[in-house]
Amino acid sequence: MKRRVKTMIGSKNCDDPIIDYKSTEYLEKFLTPQGQILSRRRSGFCTQCQKQLKSAIKRARHVGLLPFVG
Amino acid sequence: MVLLDNDVVRQDWKKAKAIVTDTVAKYGGSLESCRRWDERRLAYPMKRKNRATFYLAYHDMPGDMIPGFLRDLELNESVLRYLMVRVDETPEDERKLAAEEDGAEYSVPEPPDDDLIEVPEEAETDPLMDIDIPVDIPAEASATAPEPAREG
Repeated sequence: MKRRVKTMIGSKNCDDPIIDYKSTEYLEKFLTPQGQILSRRRSGFCTQCQKQLKSAIKRARHVGLLPFVG
Repeated sequence: MVLLDNDVVRQDWKKAKAIVTDTVAKYGGSLESCRRWDERRLAYPMKRKNRATFYLAYHDMPGDMIPGFLRDLELNESVLRYLMVRVDETPEDERKLAAEEDGAEYSVPEPPDDDLIEVPEEAETDPLMDIDIPVDIPAEASATAPEPAREG
């Protein structure tokens, strides 16, 4: 029996994602309470979008818009 | 994006703005749009500052000039941090917003009361240096000291 994935936050947005390092409220959805980036399985993004998400979150962290640790 | 020190922005907004615009001009860049993006609390303190003014600039610059440009920003004490990202073209919204803001005066509001969290300053002296350690142990003290109990 296959395990069901609990959350697929990004699956609806994957067609036309607005991933920008300045949109912190959107990026925060893809962080755990500890500040870690959600895996592709939990975010529901495709490979390309997950890569964009990763770089956007890291840019936002660099300029102090998002924390490194929750 | 450049993070400017709020103290400098409070003193003179045009002077703070010129930090970025002059540096771009110095290295042969052409500014396409530049504006104050926001003033907000940082997720973590930078250079003992909890808040900063975010300045967003789109510019065109020769590639060989970029290392010098970044070095100038690095050396400037009013710049808390910077981020340079390559974009295909300047968004139209940015041009409009920059045109609206161009020439407008701006003053940084005072930080809210609940935001005044002081960053602990680093100790100037080593705390271990303040402890008085007796150098000369008196002979009486060493003679009267109880010997450790031996087991067995």
